[in-house]
Amino acid sequence: MSLWKEFTKGVLRENPLFVLVLGMCPSLAITTSVANGIGMGVAFTGVLLASNIVISMLRKVIPNSIRIPSYIVIIATFVTMVEMLLHAYSPALFKSLGVFIPLIVVNCIILGRAEAFASKNGLTRSILDALGMGLGFTFALVTISTFREVLGAGTFLGMPVFGDSFQSALIMILPPGAFITLGCILAFINKMQSMKAAKRTMVGQQVAQQQLSSN
Amino acid sequence: MRNTLKLGLFLLLIAGIAGLGIAYVNELTQPLIAAQQEEEQLASLKEVYAEAENVVDESEQYLDENTGSIVTQVKVAYQGDDPVGVIYLVEPDGYSGKIQLMAGFDIATKKMTGIKVLSQTETPGLGSNAQESFFTERFKGKTVEKPLEIVKKEPVDDNQVLAITSATITSKAVANGVNAAREHFMENFLQ
Amino acid sequence: MLDLHEIIFIVIGAIFVNNIVLAQFLGCCPFLGVSKKLSSAIGMGMAVTFVLTLASVITWLVQVYLLERFDIGYLQTIAFILVIASLVQFVEMVIKKHSPDLYKALGVYLPLITTNCAVLGVAIINIQKSYGFINTLFNGFANGLSFTLALILFAGIRERLEDADIPKSMQGTPIALITAALMSIAFLGFSGLI
Repeated sequence: MSLWKEFTKGVLRENPLFVLVLGMCPSLAITTSVANGIGMGVAFTGVLLASNIVISMLRKVIPNSIRIPSYIVIIATFVTMVEMLLHAYSPALFKSLGVFIPLIVVNCIILGRAEAFASKNGLTRSILDALGMGLGFTFALVTISTFREVLGAGTFLGMPVFGDSFQSALIMILPPGAFITLGCILAFINKMQSMKAAKRTMVGQQVAQQQLSSN
Repeated sequence: MRNTLKLGLFLLLIAGIAGLGIAYVNELTQPLIAAQQEEEQLASLKEVYAEAENVVDESEQYLDENTGSIVTQVKVAYQGDDPVGVIYLVEPDGYSGKIQLMAGFDIATKKMTGIKVLSQTETPGLGSNAQESFFTERFKGKTVEKPLEIVKKEPVDDNQVLAITSATITSKAVANGVNAAREHFMENFLQ
Repeated sequence: MLDLHEIIFIVIGAIFVNNIVLAQFLGCCPFLGVSKKLSSAIGMGMAVTFVLTLASVITWLVQVYLLERFDIGYLQTIAFILVIASLVQFVEMVIKKHSPDLYKALGVYLPLITTNCAVLGVAIINIQKSYGFINTLFNGFANGLSFTLALILFAGIRERLEDADIPKSMQGTPIALITAALMSIAFLGFSGLI
């Protein structure tokens, strides 16, 4: 696989949230505002990048039988560091993400990438994989939180979008709104994929027919 | 057996390096975090009592078993040796859980100088508006002579405060907390 | 130390008002993953309740007697996740040896629990809310029940959804999420209870 594809696969084709449906907890809980979504995405990408780098470099050193506990220790270390850095440099974000920062440790995506990718691939590819997956996850978080913030609070990144007469749909920033938004987005993706698949079979049939008639 | 020992040592090594790394980052960030928290605390003290320069926590002196459970901290602002204002930390029960807020009082004018909600778990978009300035502003300058009362229409009396739309219980909870502080203030500082 | 009033608040609050899955979004992965059949939902719920209670208690002890005593609170995340991972392994071994029947019922779900964010989440929240030992015990247990309740209700609905005629693109996870949204709305009705 080319290096460029290694990077882009995480953004769309293998998007960790929209396609693989991993890492649900933070994506439902903290997407009440776009700022939260971006913050979580950046923190997540940082941890994933650091852990992928270290695990890829140590992949020949770590004994096979204790690789999972080793990965967990490495990931937990970086999560703690990110937590402290956020606390020191961005206390507001630290407060609003709350318990979901330490919970990055148990985010299935990070352990999943360590086990499925970084432990089998070289440094360059692991870095690209982490950046792609991180970007994909951030993109997914921002998409969900845009819907929720605009509809639920009438703002985007804190700036009012509609006029004063706009009555916001409160439910979108309450817990049910998270489930509704993600459910609708996944249904939309399914629809797109089935339309694409239908188009492909139609094109295939046409080609076959043309071939038949030309014979 | 030998292999198990080797694996154990390896894990220990990784954990050791991890611990050192974290300790190092902790050393770096700890002073920043501490400074920030201090600054934040001073800023919120100033928000409820503008002249909060020299504030002393005197909870031990003023709180005993008879003060009830709502008032949790009493801080006195001094100018020179004279107390000029009092800042309370109160925790009334809201609609879904405790609301933590600060309320400031001025001794000379016998008026409220402001309130600030520190933490709450009220319904987002409704009760959570209690922390917004449009609501907290309504408490500024209220007299301490009579207990505050939450009303749903434009207030007519000086001791009335307009409730937040669709969050009367939360508004009443805030007023409850402020009233508990007011009572303590009247008894201990206005004699 | 035993404050019954507060314990009842904690238990009702955890199960209904702030349901761990439907309001706090902890443990969403198993909530969507292991809820296709009622029987597996019950097994998973029991396993989580068991581990959550034990983990709450042990992490509390670790926090108070190790991390705070030696002033190394910044190692909390790493210490807790290691405690939970080894606890799950240990529980699995003990159950396997002493109660094969229980192992048959819970065994397959145990390894999944290490990465269940409900366990680590509740352990951290216990410390953040500075609960005492008894409150921690009850909060852990009540959150386990809270998870079980949500999971069983959800599995019951999903079993019936199998027979429903759902638009093709809504099948699978999308309709499950919409179902969860409706349940979450229903649970909003409990707010204001305490």
